[in-house]
Amino acid sequence: MAELSKNDEQVGTTPNVSGVEVVEARTEAEEVAALEVPVERGEPILQVRNLVKHFPLTQGILFKKSVGAVKAVDGISFDLYQGETLGIVGESGCGKSTVARLLMNLERATAGEIFYKGQDITRLSGKALKAVRRNIQMVFQDPYTSLNPRMTVGDIIGEPFEIHPEVAPKGDRRKKVQDLLDVVGLNPEYINRYPHQFSGGQRQRIGIARGLALNPEIIICDEPVSALDVSVQAQVINLMEGLQNEFNLSYLFIAHDLSIVRHISDRVGVMYLGKMAEIGTDAQIYDHPTHPYTQALLSAVPVPDPEARANRERIILTGDVPSPANPPSGCRFRTRCWKAQDKCAEEVPLLAVPERFKDSDTPAAHESACHFAEEKDVVHAA
Amino acid sequence: MLLDVHDLHVEFHTRDGVARAVNGVSYGVDEGETLAVLGESGSGKSVTAQAIMGILDVPPGRITGGEVIFKGRDLLPLKEEQRRKVRGAEMAMIFQDALSSLNPVLSVGDQLGEMFTVHRGMSKKDARAKAVELMDRVRIPAARERVRQYPHQFSGGMRQRIMIAMALALEPALIIADEPTTALDVTVQAQVMELLAELQREYRMGLILITHDLGVVADVADRIAVMYAGRIVESAPVHDIYKAPAHPYTRGLLDSIPRLDQKGRELYAIKGLPPNLMDIPPGCAFHPRCPMARDVCRTDEPPLYEVTESETDRGSACHFWRECLHG
Ligand SMILES: Nc1ncnc2c1ncn2[C@@H]1O[C@H](COP(=O)(O)OP(=O)(O)OP(=O)(O)O)[C@@H](O)[C@H]1O
Ligand SMILES: Nc1ncnc2c1ncn2[C@@H]1O[C@H](COP(=O)(O)OP(=O)(O)OP(=O)(O)O)[C@@H](O)[C@H]1O
Ligand code: SF4
Ligand code: SF4
Ligand SMILES: [Mg+2]
Ligand SMILES: [Mg+2]
Repeated sequence: MAELSKNDEQVGTTPNVSGVEVVEARTEAEEVAALEVPVERGEPILQVRNLVKHFPLTQGILFKKSVGAVKAVDGISFDLYQGETLGIVGESGCGKSTVARLLMNLERATAGEIFYKGQDITRLSGKALKAVRRNIQMVFQDPYTSLNPRMTVGDIIGEPFEIHPEVAPKGDRRKKVQDLLDVVGLNPEYINRYPHQFSGGQRQRIGIARGLALNPEIIICDEPVSALDVSVQAQVINLMEGLQNEFNLSYLFIAHDLSIVRHISDRVGVMYLGKMAEIGTDAQIYDHPTHPYTQALLSAVPVPDPEARANRERIILTGDVPSPANPPSGCRFRTRCWKAQDKCAEEVPLLAVPERFKDSDTPAAHESACHFAEEKDVVHAA
Repeated sequence: MLLDVHDLHVEFHTRDGVARAVNGVSYGVDEGETLAVLGESGSGKSVTAQAIMGILDVPPGRITGGEVIFKGRDLLPLKEEQRRKVRGAEMAMIFQDALSSLNPVLSVGDQLGEMFTVHRGMSKKDARAKAVELMDRVRIPAARERVRQYPHQFSGGMRQRIMIAMALALEPALIIADEPTTALDVTVQAQVMELLAELQREYRMGLILITHDLGVVADVADRIAVMYAGRIVESAPVHDIYKAPAHPYTRGLLDSIPRLDQKGRELYAIKGLPPNLMDIPPGCAFHPRCPMARDVCRTDEPPLYEVTESETDRGSACHFWRECLHG
């Protein structure tokens, strides 16, 4: 998969279609038809290539001058397979939510492609785009602010049907909403209540019901349980896992809690300052990380076991994350990396299976964007 | 005992009724010791801390019973003026949200220096030197230059370290840290927790660490007090509680968190919701959610039983603690 990941490609070059079976659709009808084709379990359903989002920084009030850009997402490539959960972790500001908004088409990409079933959704419009929007839904972090306080739960969950009436004809809607409430473990009789009459965990269930309304194939979850208490968090996680099996969903699961991400994910991508530092299966990332940033991140997580206190190696990073408006040259992690050498300032490390592990089948043989990738177990006590 | 909170009760009188936020909390901390107070949102962790510090919102809040014995004397009857002297000099608090606890229009140097001019009667110049020293101590790079900067010019982690510096300024005997790292990224959280633990060892302070993170607790605490509906339901040395909890709520919490170091089983989910403090269930407040509940739990409130099977000082507010411990 190494060649997929030229994560330092110039902005605005020809599309990178490596590993993508591009669908050639000439008419809107053909585009829509291609989107109806089911994807087999374990095959790529969403393929992101060199995705870039720069937010321009401007100065001046009357005459806005561009004075640079926040490089929120700066060349990211990954695949999401049908039926899997891909976890995305990384510190605040590394670009996780921006990736989510790009995938949802809520934000225009500066460059790069997002292939959904072989078609670049950044170029679709009309009926085809509408079909994509139906199939990719989102669940947000904050159950307190993402629900309109003046709408009843029934209206909130049923709102997507207004835009996509073909999914539920008018007469069926109430029934459909009640079914959805039932699916997420809420009493269907609550249909006329308002969001403030629910607890945080219940509100998150409402958000999930709404995300499910249009029978999507992919759900992008941006910190769906971060605002919840531990006991309620477990309820929602179990619900999401159950729904995934029941409805054959693919999840992109963004969170900063590394333990939860391990629990729910099949594969995990680690982001740092707008780039993907490392990506692999949950065991590859957690038990055999090769990127120093992943190692530092994992070692910083306290484990709920006092016996492990003394026996785990802790890497305490110094300094703060640099500004995404002015990222370091070469490897973005080099200002905090204890292994950094001259090469790290000069050459951007590409996300690829490290040369030294290429021909072996060790768990260390997964994509990592470091010139000096090597394995280090930081999670388990020695 | 440096601090001994005994049978503390706090209520809030609001338009909707009386919220019984703290219903007989007892816990203590010795010098050099770290007590972690664990519990879900609304369980009364912060209100207890506010009552100890003397910064409770009165009204609507009201302390309706109990004692807060600090260095041998009860603080609750003291006049506000005397409380203020204790606060800062002898006990200090670190809050979750450093940005809103620091004054945005004063430089951090002025805010740190104020501790010395107000409490110690130092000159401005000496206080400034002290401020730089403290910033160095909490590892703010280029402290001499940055002492003139304002809170918004620092990152979240640095602001939290400045808060720590402020709390430590007068070398208090007790620090209460209320979710000091919840708002921070994990790598920064690790930096801040390490700093706090190191300074605590150095000054032999008592530390009350309020958190809902079972990982952080396992990492730094000597003892844990678990709160539910304004009461301590379990209190024990940290090793004992992780090995074998003696209260079903603690057990539920431990089983409901996924692990970083292993790919887990299905998570245990404590059923139901935290109680409404205006209408706390009779008997054991946890009974509607408890998998072990029996008839007696619905009527009789369990006292904090001594866990007599333990070598250590342990308590559980569960009628069936013995079963839980072995279950
Ligand atoms: N609309 C915008 N205009 C300018 N900058 C933006 C905008 N949205 C995001 N950014 C910047 O882009 C970077 C990435 O932000 P993003 O919200 O994607 O981070 P994140 O990884 O989701 O962080 P968190 O964990 O805090 O949610 C940040 O530096 C942020 O300030
Ligand atoms: N100023 C106030 N006015 C009215 N009620 C209050 C006030 N402060 C606290 N309460 C009540 O006291 C209860 C306990 O609050 P407290 O802040 O101690 O919870 P906590 O355990 O610290 O929770 P969290 O983890 O969310 O910080 C709250 O549920 C709330 O009902
Ligand atoms: S490329 Fe260099 S600076 Fe970057 S993570 Fe690897 S060793 Fe560290
Ligand atoms: S007293 Fe009863 S309800 Fe309360 S925790 Fe123990 S078994 Fe459960
Ligand atoms: Mg975000
Ligand atoms: Mg609190």
